[in-house]
Amino acid sequence: MNGARNVLAKLKQKLRGQGDPSAAKIRRQRALREKIWKGLPFIKLLLFTVGYIWLLVLPSSQLGQGTYIDENALQPGQVNTYWNWGEVHHADRILEDLEQLRDRNATHDEIARYVVTEFEKYGIPARTQSYSFDTIGGEISGTNAYGVLQAPRASGTEAIVISASWLSRTGEGDGTLNLRGVSTVLALAKYLKKYSLWAKDLVFVISDGYLDGMQAWISTYHGETQPNMRAEPLTLQSGVIWTALNIDYPGHSFSHLGIFFEGLNGRLPNQDLMNSVSLISRYTVHVPTLVYDHIDPREDRSQPDLLPAWLPEPFKHNRDVQEYASRAKNIYRHMNYQARGAASGVHGLFHQFRIDAITLFAVPATGPHGFHALGRILESSLRTCNNLLERLHASFFFYLLVAPGTFMKIGSYLPSAILVGTAMLFTGLGEWVKAGWTISPAGVPSSEGVQSEKAKPKDDKRKWQRRHRPVLEPVAIMVLTHILGVVLFLLISTSWFAANQKIAGPITYILFTAIPFMASAFVPRAPSSHASIPSVLKAFNLCFTSAIISITSVLNFSLAATLAVFLGLPLTLASPPPSSSPLSARVAKYAAYSILALGWLVLCPEETRKAIWNWEVLRVWFAPFVCVVYVPLVMQAGLVCLLPS
Amino acid sequence: MDGSGDLAFPALVAARLLLAFAPLPDALKYDQQLSSPLTSYSRLREGIYLFQHGIDPYSGGAFRHSPSLLSLFSTVLPLTPYTSPILWTAADAVAAWALVRIWRLRTGAKETSRDGQIAALYLLNPYIFLPSLALSTSSIESMLCLLAVMFACRGRASAALFALACLVQLSLPAVLLAAPIILLTVTRPVSRLALPQPYHAQWKRIIPLLAEFVGYTALLTFASTVVCGNWLWVEKTWGATLTLPDLTPNPGLWWYFFTEMFDHFRPFFLMVFSVHLLIYIAPLCIKFQHDFLYATFLLLGVQALFKPYPTLSDPGLFLSMFSIFPEIYPYLRHPIVTALIHLHASLLLPLFNSLWLRQGTGNANFFYASTLVFGMGNGAALMDAIWAGLRVAVGELKEGYEVAQE
Repeated sequence: MNGARNVLAKLKQKLRGQGDPSAAKIRRQRALREKIWKGLPFIKLLLFTVGYIWLLVLPSSQLGQGTYIDENALQPGQVNTYWNWGEVHHADRILEDLEQLRDRNATHDEIARYVVTEFEKYGIPARTQSYSFDTIGGEISGTNAYGVLQAPRASGTEAIVISASWLSRTGEGDGTLNLRGVSTVLALAKYLKKYSLWAKDLVFVISDGYLDGMQAWISTYHGETQPNMRAEPLTLQSGVIWTALNIDYPGHSFSHLGIFFEGLNGRLPNQDLMNSVSLISRYTVHVPTLVYDHIDPREDRSQPDLLPAWLPEPFKHNRDVQEYASRAKNIYRHMNYQARGAASGVHGLFHQFRIDAITLFAVPATGPHGFHALGRILESSLRTCNNLLERLHASFFFYLLVAPGTFMKIGSYLPSAILVGTAMLFTGLGEWVKAGWTISPAGVPSSEGVQSEKAKPKDDKRKWQRRHRPVLEPVAIMVLTHILGVVLFLLISTSWFAANQKIAGPITYILFTAIPFMASAFVPRAPSSHASIPSVLKAFNLCFTSAIISITSVLNFSLAATLAVFLGLPLTLASPPPSSSPLSARVAKYAAYSILALGWLVLCPEETRKAIWNWEVLRVWFAPFVCVVYVPLVMQAGLVCLLPS
Repeated sequence: MDGSGDLAFPALVAARLLLAFAPLPDALKYDQQLSSPLTSYSRLREGIYLFQHGIDPYSGGAFRHSPSLLSLFSTVLPLTPYTSPILWTAADAVAAWALVRIWRLRTGAKETSRDGQIAALYLLNPYIFLPSLALSTSSIESMLCLLAVMFACRGRASAALFALACLVQLSLPAVLLAAPIILLTVTRPVSRLALPQPYHAQWKRIIPLLAEFVGYTALLTFASTVVCGNWLWVEKTWGATLTLPDLTPNPGLWWYFFTEMFDHFRPFFLMVFSVHLLIYIAPLCIKFQHDFLYATFLLLGVQALFKPYPTLSDPGLFLSMFSIFPEIYPYLRHPIVTALIHLHASLLLPLFNSLWLRQGTGNANFFYASTLVFGMGNGAALMDAIWAGLRVAVGELKEGYEVAQE
């Protein structure tokens, strides 16, 4: 017993060193603090480098894993399909009618009434719903048609939606008609009515316009109101919608089935749904699937080459490089949708109500597939959705689909943005510590602050001294810039701005660059014994930005990654100018930041218009986010460079 | 008070009143971070409705408010869309006023330049005004708590103990504050952190005060029973904080633990969690026997962290009370880290709550993780407050010296 205690004591002594344990602890803490402080530039550099390299490596063929079905109840592709040439003929007949309607420029009402009559012919109750949105660009109106096929086998508490919009998603709703998509839904309605095996209500929706019609229908279905929307109430009701399939078939025939999945505000559907559809498509019907409409040039020589022409030949033929290029294209497109919070198709509107939905896009081609293949895919997919006993929950909600059949889990891509955020956090904390200390020449006793605890015994000439850090002023500056961001958002969402965007854009840019510039003259200068306001502002700005990046990354990775790219280095490199620097140098730096913050007002008028439309009609918070969060953060960095220290 | 301070308080209250009547989404009232099952406004309304229609509100499982609130709001102060925002803003205004009074009593000055700042730090603290906008009764609890402390600082024992007894009626964990508040009434609230002295207990004064507190509590309990006509309310209100029957998520640390637990461990861990709250009273009161106001402050921090049904008001009250102890600021070890954890937590809490319950892409673990971050933030603030409160006494250090914690 005693021996054991002795051994323990010796071990302790060896670990802790001789003497007073408290002194040893202090020594240890000091050494650690010094090590961290000395290593901070290296840690920052490492975090930034690893973070950005990780972002670049995301499309690498070494990452990612194969998709699989997680929910056992789905049982995709386990049924015989009976959709046959008779149904295809019926779809062709409907298509002829629709083409006639198109050719004589039928009104929205006429088309909707035609659809309702067709549904009623099959014995499915159907109604129309007219709606209109007031937007700053004018009124949008239209008429939806929908029919509800009551589940013969169940109480109708759950439902599946099969929808097609009048306009195809081609060119993000550039006006191409989705006639074959609409015919498919109608023919499918007649065909599915024959079966008694449905355990869920089937709701068929033919929505008008591209996104606006479905927004009116789905928000009315869920009893949501929107101040600028007027929509007729729905007279036919059904249950809780679990899944929705949206059909987009703009061409004459199709070669591949493209899957579009991004929803509003970056929400993604459960992966099980798209995996099931793609499995059915590939193995039951033998239609190859794609992510979006990206046909791989390795399969189809007629597709434009993804790799730049200047690349040396050996690289062009390297499989890994080719795979990288193809995955990068998919990721870039995904980020483009997700970061802007935009829906990549009509399916995206369902996500806001917790409905998992995708768009099945028939990629236009001269062949070989048509109504026959699409009908079978849909029949089998609906049977699979019909098997569900609870909402889709088993598979992934956070993923990057890098190639058809390959995806990345959240853990393999999230750290990239988080690491950049952490690097900014460390920079901010470093700035905060740096602002709190100053070197005073020897012999001059300071009047302010606590005597240094960090005094270095080696260097007796100079002394580290604590100094006061202003907190209220930088916080006030930050709050004011964010308030200015709110004003900016209110301004650009006026009808005046929309009407005169060509002039209003530059005017707004100049105005919002000038206001902080003028206001900066009123910022008081901190006394020379205190830390300067810009140095503390930089610390807070970096810490706040890092919090924004890390937190957004969970909600919308693409947005966080975009922020990491746009804000990471620029905000870190903003530094309070030395007091000797001329005003012109400071103003030049400030102007550069103002371009980064507000340049989009002048350079991307079309993007701005779209973002505001998305906010007005679909409640996508990208536009307010940019105005209220992004712009002020960059302006703060500009002020760091501008304010005299 | 100087001119600006005179204007600051009414201006702040007016701003809060405007905010209370602003058209805010109704969802705020059902937000799980702003009101717990024990403080929710909609449940209070339901209880009052049942009570007025002759149904015992405590016979169901939804109503867990104290009978004193029931009798108050069903008779003297009816709750309508117009009166409620005024009542809740008034509660916050009274609380802010009490906090300013505590500060003045602590400094011994009649008016100070920081009065307006302290009121602003209370009234504009988002952790306090958001629950108040959601009409969570936790705002009333904060008010009673600050009133009890304020009367104790003034040495008005009866008023302090009555306010505390009322608070205990609304929220049982407040009973933890009885010891420091009684001790505060018999000492002075001025800051003695820098000059700690041993406190010689005056048992002759303390015991009658304790008896008075027990008397008030008994009286209010009896009154509540008369209002209800039976003892069912005890189990539904006080019992809830001990047995945790309602596992609606909240920003605290209890709910997830007991959601996951097997039933046969439940009684044991309920006992452990409840008793755990008690163990802080004696050590904190002994260590800070020279400054019981500080001990009360720290115990409020403990409660905010470990209470069974907390809302954001509880940490909000603790954080706002930092404003009356400026002497500890230079000795805080990691204020910016605490602030950053709170920044992250306050963004993560609503986000993960909506990912789980609204968007459906997350699950309970997401929200639980964010409550852990929030707990870390509160814990960091509490630990730093304890350290700084003790460190003040050592004062400025000479060259080459350092303070260590044994």
